Amino acid sequence: MAFINLQNVTYKYPLTKTPVLQNINLQINEGEFVAVIGPNGAGKSTLCYTLAGFVPHFFKGEISGTVEVAGMESSKSTLDEWVLNVGLAFQNPFNQISGAKYTVFEEIAFGLENTGVPRDEMKTRVEEALKLTDISNLADRSPYSLSGGQQQRVALTSILVMQPKLLVLDEPTSQMDPIGTREVFGVIRKMAEDGMTVVMVEHKVEWIANFADRVIALKDGQILLEGKPSEVLTSDVLAENGFGISRYTSTAREAKKQGLWKKENLPVTLDEAVEGFSNW
Amino acid sequence: MHERLSFYIKRNSVIHHLNPLTKLTLVLALILIAFTSPWYWTPHLLVLIAIIPLSFLGKVAPEFFKTALRLILPAAGFLFLMQAFFQPVGETVIFKFYFLDMTQESLMFAFRNATRVIVMVSAFTFLLLTTHPSELMSDLTRRGLPGQFAYVIISTLQILPQMQAKAQTIISAQRSRGLDTESSFIRRMGSLTPLIGPLVFGSLAEVEERAIAIEARGFTSKKVKTSLHEIPDPSSDKLIRWVLIILVIISIALKLWLS
Repeated sequence: MAFINLQNVTYKYPLTKTPVLQNINLQINEGEFVAVIGPNGAGKSTLCYTLAGFVPHFFKGEISGTVEVAGMESSKSTLDEWVLNVGLAFQNPFNQISGAKYTVFEEIAFGLENTGVPRDEMKTRVEEALKLTDISNLADRSPYSLSGGQQQRVALTSILVMQPKLLVLDEPTSQMDPIGTREVFGVIRKMAEDGMTVVMVEHKVEWIANFADRVIALKDGQILLEGKPSEVLTSDVLAENGFGISRYTSTAREAKKQGLWKKENLPVTLDEAVEGFSNW
Repeated sequence: MHERLSFYIKRNSVIHHLNPLTKLTLVLALILIAFTSPWYWTPHLLVLIAIIPLSFLGKVAPEFFKTALRLILPAAGFLFLMQAFFQPVGETVIFKFYFLDMTQESLMFAFRNATRVIVMVSAFTFLLLTTHPSELMSDLTRRGLPGQFAYVIISTLQILPQMQAKAQTIISAQRSRGLDTESSFIRRMGSLTPLIGPLVFGSLAEVEERAIAIEARGFTSKKVKTSLHEIPDPSSDKLIRWVLIILVIISIALKLWLS
C-alpha cells in the first residue's frame, strides 16, 4: 500500500467553472522525492493544497475521489489532525511569516508551541533545524528584516522542525540564489533519504534531474507524463506542450537532428551535455 | 522599513523581571485609583510618588520623559484648556477671554481630569516600555486568553509597519509612471484613489496565504499549547497583585462610602 494514494481525484474551486484537477491517480512511496512540473495554471499548487489537506478543508469547493496519506483519508480527517502528518511550505516567503513572533528562533518554534511540544524538546529541535538549513546565524534577527531567500529558508525550517511525514513544497527556492538552491535541494534530498516523503513543485529542471526520484508533469489538471527525471525531462511531449525544459536538452535535441548528438538519451544537466558532446 | 511598532526597551531592572500580569495589574490599579479616589490630589500624587519613581526603577526614565513631553503633556494640556474654559461650573471667575470664562471650579476640575488622563496614558507607556508585547501575550494566553485574540494583537503590531512600507512601494511605483502627488489637494486625492485597490485587495490575498501558513503550523490544533519562553511568576508577584487589588477595593469603597 502506497504512502500517498490519490484515486480519481477531481476538484473544482468554489468560483471556477472547470475542474482544476481532473481524475488524478497517483501513488507515492514512503521516502520518495517527487518533483512536479507544469506550465502556469496546470494545477500544481492545487495539487499541493490537496495533499496538504487545504483542499477541501480550507478552500471548500467540490472534490471527488479519495486522498490518502499515511493511512488516513483526507475527507474523514480534520485539518488540524492532517497538518501533524503533512507539512506545507509555499512560494511567497513573506506571507508565511506568522507575524506573531519577534525573532527567527521564536518564529520556528511557533508550530511546536501550537502542537504542544514540551519546552526542552522544543529548544533542541529548533536548534537542530536551524543547523540543518544553515541559518543558526539568523536566530536572533527579526524575520521581517531578512531577504527573500533567507525568509524562504525560515519558512522551510519552520515546517521541517515539525517533522512531518510528508513534506509538500510549492516552489520553495523561487527567491534563492544558486548556492542557496543547491543547499536547500541537498537538505531536502537528505530528509528523503532519512524517510521523509517529499513532493515539490519546481521549475528548475536541472536541479530536479540531479535530486528527484520521480517527476510528474502536470497539464490542465491532468498528469501528462510520469517517470524517472532523465526520461520525463527529455521527452518530446514536454517540449511540444509548453513546459520549461533545460537548455541542454533543447540544444542536444537540435544537435541530434543535425547528427551531432550520438547518444540515445538527451541530457538534462550541464555534466550530461558535456559528457555527451565530448564523446563523439 | 524594519522598525516595528513596539516601545519595548530591553534593560535589566527589577521592573523588567516582574511577571507581565503583575505590571498589567499595576497599571490598571493606578488608573482605577486615579479615577475612583475621593481625594482631590490622588491622581497628582500618583504621578509624583508612583509613576515617575517606577520609571526610574525600571531604568526607562529618559524614554519615559521623552514620550511624556512629546505626546502625553500636549494632549493633556489641550484637554485642560478645553475643560477649563468650557466647563460651565462655578461662580468665581478668575480669567475672562472674550465670552469664555475660566472659574476656579472649572480650573480645579480640568486640572484633575487632565492629571487622570496623564496617569492613564503614562501608566500604559510605562507598561509598554518595560514589557515585551509577545511576553505579555504569551503569559495571558497561558492564563486562558484565547490564542486567536493574542495573535490578532501581536500580528497587527508587526504587520502595520509592513503595510505602510507596501503602500509606499505602490505610491513610488505609480509616481515613476507619472502619478501626480504634488499638485493641488483635490487632484492628489483623485490620483490616490486607484492606489487603494491594490493595497486593500493585495492585503486580503495576503491574509488568505498567511492563514494557510499558520494553519499549516498547527495554529488551530486542539492540543494544549506550550510556550518557548518560560515566564516566571514567583509568589512575590502574586503578593504584589493582591496588594494592588486590595488598594483598588479600598479606593472604590471610600468613594462609595463618602458619597
